Formats: sequence, structure tokens, C-alpha cells
Amino acid sequence: MSRLVAELPAPTGIQPVRVGRRRRSRQERLAYKILLPALGTVFIIVTIPFVLAVVQSIQAEDGSLVGFRNYARALTNPLFYDALRATGLYALIVLPAEILLGLSFALLVHRTVRRAGLRATLYVLAVLPLVVPPVAVGVVARLIYAPGYGVLNYLLQGAGIAHSEIEWLGVPILAMGSVASVDIWQWTPFVYLVLFAGLQTVPKESVEAAQVDGATWWTQFIYIELHYLRPLFLLILFFRMADVLRVFDHVFILTGGGPGTTTQLLSLYMYRIEFKFFDAGQAAALAVLVLVSISVIYSLVTRALPLERA
Amino acid sequence: MQRITRREFVKRTAVTSAAFTSLPAFLAACGESTTTSNKPSKLVIAAVQGNEDGPLKKVAPNYKSQTGIDVEIVEFPYDQLFEKLVTTFQANGSSYDLCMMDDPWMPKFGTMGALQPLDSNFGFTRDSDVPTVVYDVGTWPPPHGPVPPSEQGKTQHLYGITIVGNVEMFMYRSDKSSAPTTWDDVLTNAGKYNAPNFYGYVIRGKATNPVSSDSLPILWSFGGNVFDDNWKVQLDSTDSITAVDFLTRKLKKFAEPGAENIDAADRSRLMAIGQAYQSTVWPGEITGIVEDPSVSQVKGKVAYIPIPQGASGKGLGMMGNWLLGIPKGSKNGSAAADFIKWMLKTANMRNYVAQGGIPIRKSILNDASLASANPYFAALAKSFDAVPNWRPRTDQWNAVETIYGTQMNAAVAGQVTPQAAMTKAAADVRTLMKTAGYPS
Repeated sequence: MSRLVAELPAPTGIQPVRVGRRRRSRQERLAYKILLPALGTVFIIVTIPFVLAVVQSIQAEDGSLVGFRNYARALTNPLFYDALRATGLYALIVLPAEILLGLSFALLVHRTVRRAGLRATLYVLAVLPLVVPPVAVGVVARLIYAPGYGVLNYLLQGAGIAHSEIEWLGVPILAMGSVASVDIWQWTPFVYLVLFAGLQTVPKESVEAAQVDGATWWTQFIYIELHYLRPLFLLILFFRMADVLRVFDHVFILTGGGPGTTTQLLSLYMYRIEFKFFDAGQAAALAVLVLVSISVIYSLVTRALPLERA
Repeated sequence: MQRITRREFVKRTAVTSAAFTSLPAFLAACGESTTTSNKPSKLVIAAVQGNEDGPLKKVAPNYKSQTGIDVEIVEFPYDQLFEKLVTTFQANGSSYDLCMMDDPWMPKFGTMGALQPLDSNFGFTRDSDVPTVVYDVGTWPPPHGPVPPSEQGKTQHLYGITIVGNVEMFMYRSDKSSAPTTWDDVLTNAGKYNAPNFYGYVIRGKATNPVSSDSLPILWSFGGNVFDDNWKVQLDSTDSITAVDFLTRKLKKFAEPGAENIDAADRSRLMAIGQAYQSTVWPGEITGIVEDPSVSQVKGKVAYIPIPQGASGKGLGMMGNWLLGIPKGSKNGSAAADFIKWMLKTANMRNYVAQGGIPIRKSILNDASLASANPYFAALAKSFDAVPNWRPRTDQWNAVETIYGTQMNAAVAGQVTPQAAMTKAAADVRTLMKTAGYPS
């Protein structure tokens, strides 16, 4: 009873503030306690390795400090720019293709499929490519594109479209297209799922009102739905750009980076610097540079597509 | 039922958790006591997954039945095995008592000082029934050829014993022609037998290691080289460029489409389904594909010979031996050495051969009774006698191979001329070697 009395508003105004402050403090302590395991895990698996990478990037093999020499070596290596060019081209192919295809599928299903069962089936089908290990995807893709026994050439020749074997993995532009097609197949469903979920948040009243006013398919999309999808585009762009920098498995299996260095993406290049050249300093410098670059890109994308606009 | 307070509950939970979490440490401690004894209960081998360790897995149970020591084989794909071993050695870990090593890895491991010497520590001596080059390839610093600057003056020791006697050889369809003796014969036959859906020559041209392995025997046989005896880069020498031109232009005219993406399995498949006339070959491909009746349509129609002669007048095969070594961190060195000795015994090696193993004993390779089941044994024995080349003994080899194999791949794809490819490769290798302290 005395506690209840103590918590009652006091006319002086001093007591409630003290009680309120004590209550907030207790809640904050609880919040920190709850967050501690998550923050601790992030610290252990993200912060510590990053700090170690930064330290390694300014060290020589014998552990002596060499300043920015590893960064200079990384930035003056012509193979780095080949890898950067290849990664840029890869991103230019896969990102627009995945976003356009994913958006098209999402709009198509959102507007035409009404039955819950069919929507659930499409959802499951879309999830499937995402859960297949990239190595398995690479192996299957090799069965499609490989010279000699590739299914695609077999079909094209059988249908009379091609008269001789097309070297999908041997001609530079085709090789890039082939490895990109695998990415598009695997990750378009991710874009579809995210955008489809976004479309479900568009208020029906707004859409119906627009339709009553005679809005076309296109204007409905541009003036209503696009506004709800904008933050999701940011999310997709960020995730997919980060993924493009990590692409490794299917490229390694399909082309091994060839022909020449045509498909030697940044991740494959970094792998070779670390595990073939055993140049840990240069590999760490590259890793830090990539991290800084992606942070800059993320910040630019955030500015271009501010969340507040939604 | 007795109720407990929250404080008591937390206390009991903590005690129980502590007991459970300390259990693995307790068990590990128990294990520790067995491993430090003279006769361990188990030896752990880090092995490469594939044809190379298959026979080892089959004979390992015999070792247990004879000695009571279990042999656990932990398999890794090729690249991962190398990375795993390097990181284990860097940490001086004791996870593995033995490790399988591809012979180009020896310079890296030798330079790192990662292995226990088999001669001084465990009394290994050379056996006259085993080709000298087999011991040489497991010796560090290398007994012949250029020695890395950091290793000069060090005492030579034997660190690895070959258990897979791999030497790159040559295969051709013996039902169609006699054996080529020179690379010119190879080119002539390639043109003669090339036909729609039948390729006169198969190039294993996939980027980095595959095309490097495929092309080096040709490079050497033409008098080219990666380095001379003083580590001077020779990739842009006239002989080297001629060899690359021979492979990527002359032979490529008769090669399979998409050669720049062909690896060993694809090459053997083309031979096995009767769509190719000739190529280089590793023993593992012979037993695993070309002579395997369950997948091959050409069993008995393919013959195996040492690498044909090039312009240098020599035919130089390439070693790709798999060795067994004992990591420095192993606590069971003596028992591990006993296992290697057991593997080398003639009777055990015969059993190993019966399980598909590739032997190193001359008496087994030249045993006529084994020839029909192993049609490449005679060629392998001759290849050993001809003293095949090993890949340059430098811990930078992985990087050199990546540079060379990338440019070779570009040349096979027709992206660059042979001259441009080798000029670029030579320049990049020179930069690499200079940075690593070599006089390139």
C-alpha cells in the first residue's frame, strides 16, 4: 500500500520525476541486457574480424607494419581493375534484369492471381531457387552451358536455331552472359518476393479510388504502388549489390574466371590473392577497400532513394 | 514436490550447464592421454577427395586389423585441402597425424617448416625398387633444379613419400594408328583423324591449374620453361612461345569446341565416349574413366605412352605425385611413420593396386601379370625412368600457375595471341618473383 501511495502523483512535482526516472532507467537496463547477447555476437563475428583485417592490411607477412603499402599494391595491380570491370559489368547485367523481372512477376501475380492457394504455390516455387546451394546451381548450370554435352546447345541444334555448337563459356561476352543468367535465375525470385510483399501493403481504398477516377494500369503503378515500393527497392539494391560482391561459387564452377580474366569477379580475384598468391596483406587491403566502397555506395543509394519519401 | 526459489533455480541451472560444457574438455583430456602414449588408438589423415584417396580408404581397414590402430581419413576437395593444411600448419595444429600433399605443395610446406623429416626422425632410407625421382620430389630443399633463395644452404631432408605415383602421360586411340613419337606426329594424326563429332586432339584448357598442367609438358618438350636454373623467367622465350603457339593454334584447329572450358573429367569423357583421338592424361583418369567398363566405350582401344618428344628431342612428362607427410604438430609422429612404412611394403602395395591404387615400386609397375588390368603401368614405369619434370620448386608456385594458367586460357580461347599471352605472363611472374625476393 505504501508503494502505491508513493507512486501517486505528488503535488510538488519532485517525487514523480524521480520515480519516473527510476522506472525508465530500469527499463533501459533491461533493454540493454536483452540486447547484450545480440550485440556481443555482432562484436565477436563482425567487429573483431574487421579490426583484424584492418590490422592485417597494414602489416607485412612477418608482422611488421608497412603503412598503406598493401593498399598501394592492391590498387596498382592491373588484375584488380580487370576484376572491378568484370564485377561492374556483372552488376549492370544482373541488377536491372532481376529488378525488372521481379517487379513484373510481382505486379502480374498481385493483379491477376486472386486464389490464395495459387499464390501460396507461387510463393513456394519462388523460394526454391533461393534455398538451392550456389554450388549445386553452378553444377546444374554447367550441365546447361558446357561445351560438348551442354543441354542448351543440344536444344538449340535440335530446334534448328543453331547449326554448330555455341561456345557459351568460351566467348567473353557469352561467358559473362552465362554466369549472369545463373544469378538472374537464382535471385529474381528474391526481388519478386520482396516486391510482392510490398504490394500487399498498398491500401485497397487508394487503388479503388484511383480506378474510379479512371487511372490506367500504368498510372496506378506510377502514382500509387511505386511510392510504397520505393524503400523496398533500396533494400533490394543494397542486398543484391552486397551479394554481387560475394558471387563466387557458380562463376568458379562455370568458367573459373575465364576466358582469360573476363569473368574473374572481385570475390574470385580476392580468393586467388589470398589462397593462391598467399598474399594476406593485399587480400586484407582489398577486403577493407570493398567494405568501404560498399558503404559509400550504400550511402549514395540511400540518398537517391530516401526512406522518408515513402 | 519441493518448491525452489528463483535464486536456487538459477544456481542449479548454472551448475548443470557448467557440468555439461566441461564434458567435452574432460573427454578431450581423456583423449589426450591416449595420444601421447606410444601406440595411439587412431591416426587421422587429411586426404584429397577423389580417385587419389579412394584406394587408401580401402586399404586402411587392413592396417587396423594388423596393428589395432584405426585410420580415420578426413577428406577435402583439392583446393580446400591445401587451404586447410596451410592454416593448420600456420597454427601448428595437431588435428592431423598424416596429410596427403600434391607435390607442387612441397615447396610451400618445406619453406614453412611444416613437416617432420622422415629420414632423420624416423629412419627412412631410399629403396632401389622405388624411382629416385619419387624420393627427390619429397625432399626439401630440392636436390636438383633451382632452389629458392631463402632455402639455399639448408640441409636436405625427406619430408614426403609418394603414395600416388602420378605422372602425366599421353593417350591415343591405338585401334586407329600406331603410337606418335613426336609432337609433330601428334599434329599429323590430329589432322588425319579429325572428323565431325570426333576431335583430333583434346585440350584441357580451363583457366589456371587445368590448362597449366596440360600445357607444361608441351612447353618443356619444346625446350621452353617457366624459369631457368637461376630463377630467370623463361615464359617469353622463343621456345616457350613456339610451344604455346603449337598448342593454342596448330593443335587447336583439331580440338574440341569450347576447349577453354574443358577440365580433366570432360577430356576423359570425350575419350571414353569415343569422340576424341588423343590427349595428355593422368593415371587417375585412366582407371576412373577411360578404362572403366561401366562408363567407357573405348576400353582396350586406347594405349598409353610417355609424353611425345618435342623440338628439344625430349618428351618430358609432369609429376603430379601425391605424397604422405607428417605435420610438425602431430603428436603421433612415430606411429604415422610406421603407417607410411606399412604402405610402402611390397605386399601391401600390391593390395593397394588391387584396390585401384597407383604404385611407385618398379617391380610392380613392370609386373606383366598386372599389365592387362592396368594398361598404363608400362608407360608409367617408362615415364619415371625418363625422369619427369616437376613444377618449379618455389612456394610462389600457386601464384605463378594462376598467372600462367590465366594467360594460357586466354590464348586457348583466342582472346590474345600466344606471344601476347606469354609476354604478359612473363611480366607478371617477374613482378611477383621480384616481390618475393627472387632474382627474376
